[in-house]
Amino acid sequence: MKEVIRSQRLGEQYQKILHPSGLTILLYPMEGFKSAYALFATNYGSVDASFKTDKDEDFVTVPAGIAHFLEHKLFESEDGDAFERYAKTGANANAFTSFDKTAYLFSCTDHFKESIEILLDFVTHPYFTPQTVKKEQGIIGQEIRMYDDNPDWRVYFNLLGALYHVNPVRIDIAGTVESIAQIDADLLYRCYHTFYNLHNMTLAVAGNFDPDVVLDAADRILKPAPKQELTRKVADEPDTVRTTLVEQTLPVAIPLFQIGFKGKAGKTERENLWGKTADEVLLEIIAGDSTPLYRRLLEAELINQTFEGEAMANRDYSLTFYSGESRDPKRVRDEIATEILRLRSEGIDPQLFDRVKKAVYGRYLGAYGRPEALAGLMVTAQFADVDAYEILEMLASLTLEQLNQRLPVSFDVERCALSIVRS
Amino acid sequence: MSQTCVRTSIGTGIHLTTISDPKFKHNLLSINFVLPLDRDRASDNAVVPHILRMGCRSFPDITSLNTRLQELYGANLDASVYKFGGYQVLELSIRGVDNRYALEKEDITAQCARLLAQIALDPKLDGNGLFYETDTALQRRFIQDAIEAEINEKRSYAISQCLQTMCQGEPVAVKTYGYPETAAAITPASATAAYRNMLKNAPIEIVFTGAGDAQAAGKILADAFAGLERTPFAYQPVKLGPAPASVREKTEEMEIAQGKLVLGLRCQGLETPRQIGAARLFSALYGGTPFSKLFRNVREKLSLCYYCASRFDSATHLMLVDSGIEMCNKQKAQDEILHQLECVKNGDFTDQEIAETKLLMRSSLITTTDSPSATEGWYMAQILRGQMVSPQEDADLLDTITREEIIQAANAARLDTIYFLKGKEEAQ
Repeated sequence: MKEVIRSQRLGEQYQKILHPSGLTILLYPMEGFKSAYALFATNYGSVDASFKTDKDEDFVTVPAGIAHFLEHKLFESEDGDAFERYAKTGANANAFTSFDKTAYLFSCTDHFKESIEILLDFVTHPYFTPQTVKKEQGIIGQEIRMYDDNPDWRVYFNLLGALYHVNPVRIDIAGTVESIAQIDADLLYRCYHTFYNLHNMTLAVAGNFDPDVVLDAADRILKPAPKQELTRKVADEPDTVRTTLVEQTLPVAIPLFQIGFKGKAGKTERENLWGKTADEVLLEIIAGDSTPLYRRLLEAELINQTFEGEAMANRDYSLTFYSGESRDPKRVRDEIATEILRLRSEGIDPQLFDRVKKAVYGRYLGAYGRPEALAGLMVTAQFADVDAYEILEMLASLTLEQLNQRLPVSFDVERCALSIVRS
Repeated sequence: MSQTCVRTSIGTGIHLTTISDPKFKHNLLSINFVLPLDRDRASDNAVVPHILRMGCRSFPDITSLNTRLQELYGANLDASVYKFGGYQVLELSIRGVDNRYALEKEDITAQCARLLAQIALDPKLDGNGLFYETDTALQRRFIQDAIEAEINEKRSYAISQCLQTMCQGEPVAVKTYGYPETAAAITPASATAAYRNMLKNAPIEIVFTGAGDAQAAGKILADAFAGLERTPFAYQPVKLGPAPASVREKTEEMEIAQGKLVLGLRCQGLETPRQIGAARLFSALYGGTPFSKLFRNVREKLSLCYYCASRFDSATHLMLVDSGIEMCNKQKAQDEILHQLECVKNGDFTDQEIAETKLLMRSSLITTTDSPSATEGWYMAQILRGQMVSPQEDADLLDTITREEIIQAANAARLDTIYFLKGKEEAQ
């Protein structure tokens, strides 16, 4: 089943194919580009800690960090690892695990056919033994230790831990040295067979490649996956924040901070994607670098150029936060809260809204100009059940009224937490 | 549909390089001022682009300037400072969407070029012709913070400390933002003097990368720079001294969970692009890919680390190997890293490993041409290396390099310094 998705605004198009194996394939050839970027992703990340399929009697809860562990382990097969296979094609290969997805990727300028075959093959052929699992515990143990020393990472997860009581988003994606010690080959296979079902996966390719080569490889390599019903346990998360302040001591120069606001997740992933877009505009309106507040904070030396805002939303969480360096993070938090309350009573300045929207539009356009960004965008959109252009249209159709309504939901000063890392 | 790169002289020591590529959706325009790294001047130089980024006469404060950038579809105006060999490069750049995506047919590219010229050449100055005290104080604080914040990222901190130990007294050791005492001494007068010196004496490289009208944007910048009175110094790539007779060792302590081991090597006697190409291949084969000697052995076989990589710097011919490890595994990791180095020096690698390394490097090189910023970075590095080859030509050169040349390059590498950042005893 093939569908062509078009954007009038960009004058571009791509193909969406529902492959007989169950896999969704998104193909975006880009004229003039030399490289191709492929992303083979499963709708499975660190937050999917408790789940069941129609074949399971009850929910199973797995150790934290297992999605990421699985990502590492899939690179290995009985006859060597995937990096060694890619070495023969010249592709730059990698993988990542986030809160809500695990993705395997490569970028190449030549031998695309061989590289896409390797990608489809190794991700669909798991191979774990007690020995290889043990070896990986050493490597990932060092990855976790590396993040333990990373103040940006710590200030971020401390914030998530402050905002959320039980939602697994509060746990580090790689888990802990203790949690990964509980992982064994059987558990890995269980997670694999649940989440690496092709109906739960998407392949996105952008750049310089021939779509027929991808479809041909998929026909040869992919076997039809059984239909399954997958239920993820929704965390019973209270509306309130767990704590309003969390501090950690690490060797840093100036204290790092993140000020987070716990939002309300939408009913669908599409709603969450829309909400995230709206929140990105709101972050700019409250304390973006063209606002009077930003200038006040900068001139008072309460923030510096590292100050920025970010919105996140997936599955069953939605939040926004500002991060930066400050000698007085509590005052930054108070000033931001005051500005939010002012905006709530006075409303958002329509001119500022128009300008910010235009600027965010320009920023979004960038993602449609690079193969790697575009492949990522297609996957994100697909998992939210929209097409890749809809993100741009969501932004273009945002109204001032919608934002005035969204403001108290996403930026509730009663549901705010401050995370600080200082030495 | 390929890139065309043209470099022309548009003034005394001022060059304009345009890389046109119709596939890009953005245009990136950068002005790069090249200055010798100097311990006493580094902070004053580094603060200049950051002060300029605070506003110009037409947009005299950060709010009006950033408002203007939003009107230009969220154009990115960046001030940055980076090191290249023995030089400090001060960069001002603007990146905006191409005119074909303007909603009201505005000429965004020309407006971005004009704004960038104003930022570089028409700063707001007080009655004495100096930068304002308030802007200077803010950016002095930023430079001081940036210097102190070096300890935040342990991996890059350890690398920097290794370089400091290794190149003490050489210009390449001078830090990008200078030092606490030189940063504290920044005043409106010293920063303005650094600005005037930069306009007068720095070689200036203007680079346009994108789909838009490079000629028009180039002309705006050329006209803006036309009236300057200039006596630029003659730029020469730096040469470093030899490795010491005995290996330097330095260990520092910090409250950290993971130890950081960095080995600094000097690759001596590399003269030609071929020899440098051979050294790049050697470094990649040794520790620059996920199938390199270091990745396969230190990570995958011995399970000692998450990362263990080597990087060769074409500007200085220094090579750094770094890894994050358990404190107690320092000697084990160091022994294996050096053992693998001996293996490469002895030619203990297959033709297949060479071919695969070349293939990966080619792919990475050609991929740079798919992004405006990577393309700009590539050509700026070419200019600073005193050559002008495309990524394609560079990949073609690497392809012709032989096993013997790689072994020669490996044998030119001398271990200079072993640096280890370890946890404090009580923290372990």
